[in-house]
Formats: sequence, structure tokens, C-alpha cells
Amino acid sequence: MTKLLKYEIKKTWLTKLIVLGITGVAELAFLLGLCLKDSSAGEKIIPVSILTLVMIAFGGVMVIGIQSVLTLHRDMNTKQGYMLFMTPRSSYQIVGAKMLENGISIALSGVFFFALGFLDITLMFARYGELAELWKRIRELLDMFRVEVPITPAGIGAVIFASLASWLATVTIAYLADIISSALLNGKKFNGILTFVLFIALNILMNYMLRALPSGQGITQLVVIGVGSLVFSVIMYIASSILMERYLSV
Amino acid sequence: MLKSEELTKKFGGKTAVDHVSMELEKGHIYAMLGPNGSGKTTWMKMAAGLMKPTSGTVSFEGMPVGLESRKHVAYMSTEPYFYSWMTIRDVGQYYEDFFDDFSMEKYRQLLREMELEEEMKTKTLSSGMAAKLKIAVTLARDASVYMLDEPFNGIDLLARDEIRRCIISEAAEDKLLLLSSHLVEEMEAVADRAVFIKYGKLVEVRDLEEMRLTDGVSMADRYREIYGHTEVKQA
Repeated sequence: MTKLLKYEIKKTWLTKLIVLGITGVAELAFLLGLCLKDSSAGEKIIPVSILTLVMIAFGGVMVIGIQSVLTLHRDMNTKQGYMLFMTPRSSYQIVGAKMLENGISIALSGVFFFALGFLDITLMFARYGELAELWKRIRELLDMFRVEVPITPAGIGAVIFASLASWLATVTIAYLADIISSALLNGKKFNGILTFVLFIALNILMNYMLRALPSGQGITQLVVIGVGSLVFSVIMYIASSILMERYLSV
Repeated sequence: MLKSEELTKKFGGKTAVDHVSMELEKGHIYAMLGPNGSGKTTWMKMAAGLMKPTSGTVSFEGMPVGLESRKHVAYMSTEPYFYSWMTIRDVGQYYEDFFDDFSMEKYRQLLREMELEEEMKTKTLSSGMAAKLKIAVTLARDASVYMLDEPFNGIDLLARDEIRRCIISEAAEDKLLLLSSHLVEEMEAVADRAVFIKYGKLVEVRDLEEMRLTDGVSMADRYREIYGHTEVKQA
């Protein structure tokens, strides 16, 4: 499994490096803006760099998930897949390594962007001296959206955990839909449409199941959503592995 | 050693392999012959465990092909299949990571013989170089079964001689080599048995020496009889 994991990381490192590079450029721009805070250039650079960093944070985590699905798709549908499927490794190990690599990448990137965001906010308000005002504004924003989560380390952690776990579950649903497409619907009419419909239907099912869980409010609700999403991911993993083992031809 | 029973593969309405039953024994080099589209590659992919049959079975040493057989069966596809980000060194490392029977020393020796540099990226290789790399990495395994699909494709005459020498050097009492090709003359110099496949059906499996003695025909002659305009005798 560790060797499969090693090659899954090698297959996807370039995209991660690009995301990291763009983040680095945006971060440098932000820091430059802070240094030039009293000039008109500084006033322009800071909002642009903040917006860019926020977009990269969300986009980066999404791209990592999407790329994982594309890599699986390539492995199942191009000749390069022989490299993977002729190794003496079971489908459980192959899908497991892909899912593990993706889960670790999503978690690490989530933690990385959160830490970077926290650092930048602290820097910005250390520079401007209005940290208390910022937290007040964020609280007002959350209240507008009726998010009943306290702005505490536990509350923020729960939001991140639930978001990343939900995204991981969505990626694993895409895995299953793609495996069904490649193993059972390959060469059939309307393969693409059927796969897309299946992906949407499984997402609706997951959301329905998560809503049906007894969850309470606030942090508890987020933790239940996160854990429920992880359980759903495990179910998707088992279903994907069984289908791949029994039906996939490359 | 490698046995298929009523093995069938259909793609939509087309039958690529049609109820093929045969047993290939160790200690022989088999030439799997047939024109393009006759089902050679599809049969090999099923025997390698890469493709699932529509019906029938294929087994290695009495076990259905799968996880265990992949440890002992070295398959070389006719198409290039290396990850584009790999160098030739990475390819060897990959095989060493996954196959216990892989020898890095032998791989390097074969690379030297085939004049391939370890630093070269696989995506920059010419078709001939890629073909030689496939051979080198496959033969660097000490497998029980080698299945080489069109090993002479895209390779110049001198390199073919080198590859033929490498393949013959792998032959042993406890090993089975199966080579597919439509280059019949090339195969005649290597194989001692032939599998003739036509339109996905097995025509016959013959011992070439026995065929020469009893029928007085070479493998190429028999090929012409089967795939030319003469009547096909079903096995």
C-alpha cells in the first residue's frame, strides 16, 4: 500500500506544486501590500491579494480532489493504466491508496490554507491594530447566514473538518461513478450522461442521509456531518473496490 | 501452466475471443499467430488479468488469474504504457517496487545492451526505443510466464536480433514464453510451438518440429494454409 501511495503522490505532485506556487506569489503580494500600507499601491494590492488567496484556498482544495478523479479516470481508460493494474495489488489496495492520498492531500491543504489565513489576518490586524473589530465583523457576517458556530478554535476546527470531509465524500462519489462508467457502462450509449446522473443522485442521497442523522446544533452538528461524510466515503470505497475487482477491464 | 477454458470476450456485438480452450505448458516458447484483429491481444490481456472475460475461465497453475498470478506472469503490452513523467530509471524502480522477481542488475545490463540511457524520459523515446524498454523491463523479471505482445514491432533488424537473443536466453524448463506476432518468419526462429487463432477462434496448437516431420510444412507454410485462401481445419 505504501508503494502505491508513493506513486499516487508522484502522479499528482505537479498540480500541488503549481497551487503552492500561485499561493506563494499571492502571499508575497499580500506581504508587499502590508509593507506599502500607507501608499495607494498598498491599498490596491492588499484587497486583490486577499481575494486571490481566498480563491486559491477554495480552488486549491477543489482542484486536488478533481485531479484525483482525473488520475483515476486516466488509469482506467488509457494504456498507462497497465502500469497500475498489472502489479500484484488488489483493487482494495489500489482504490485505498488513491483515496488515502486524496484524503491526506485535502486535509493537509485545508490545514495549510487555514494556518496561512490565520497568519495573514493576524499580520494584517497587528499592522492596522483593529483585530477586535475584525472578529466582530466576521461574527456579524456569520449571523447574517444564520451560522450558529462560535468563533473559537473548536468552532473553526469543526467548520474545517465538516467542509473537508464533505468534499472528500464528494470525491469518493465521483470515484464510484467513474468506476461504474469505466467498468459497466464502457462503450454503451449515454455513458457520460448516465454517469453524471449517478454522481448527482449519489450526492443527493448522501445529503439526505446526513440530514437524517440526529445532529443537534452548532459544533455538534458539524462534527456529525463530518463523521457521516467519512462513513459515506468508506461505503463508497468498498463499493468502488468491489466493482473494480469484479468488472474493470483495462 | 496457463489454461483457458471456453474463454470468450465480446465487445458490444463483436466477439474478439470465441470459446477458446487450450493449455500452454512450461518449457516451451509459443508463437501466437494470427492476422490483426484475430484475438491474440485480447486473449493475452485476459491471461494477464487486465481484462475480464465475458464467459469462460483462464487459470495459472490451476488458480484463476488475478492477484497471485500477477506475481508470476510478466506481460508486455504491444502499446507503450509507461507513465509519461517517468525516466527509464523510474520505470526500473517502479518494477523493483512492485515485483519481487525483478532484478535491477539485469535491467541495467539489458539497457546497456539495448543502448538506452537511464536518464531519458519515457515520453521522449522513439517508438523503437520504447519497444526496447518494454522488452528490457519485462525480461528483467524472473517470471514463470512471459507474455510478449508483438515484441518485434517498430524495431530495426539489428535490435530484433538482440531481442530474439534475449528472449531465447530466458527459455527454461520451468518457464513458459508466449509471443504474439504477425511477423511469422521472425517467430519461426524463436518458437518451438505455435498457436493459430483466426476470427477469435482457436484453430490449432502445434509442435513445430512434429509439424515439420509429419506434415512436411514449416510454420510459415501452415500460416499461409490457415490464413490464405485454403480451407481452415478446426481443432
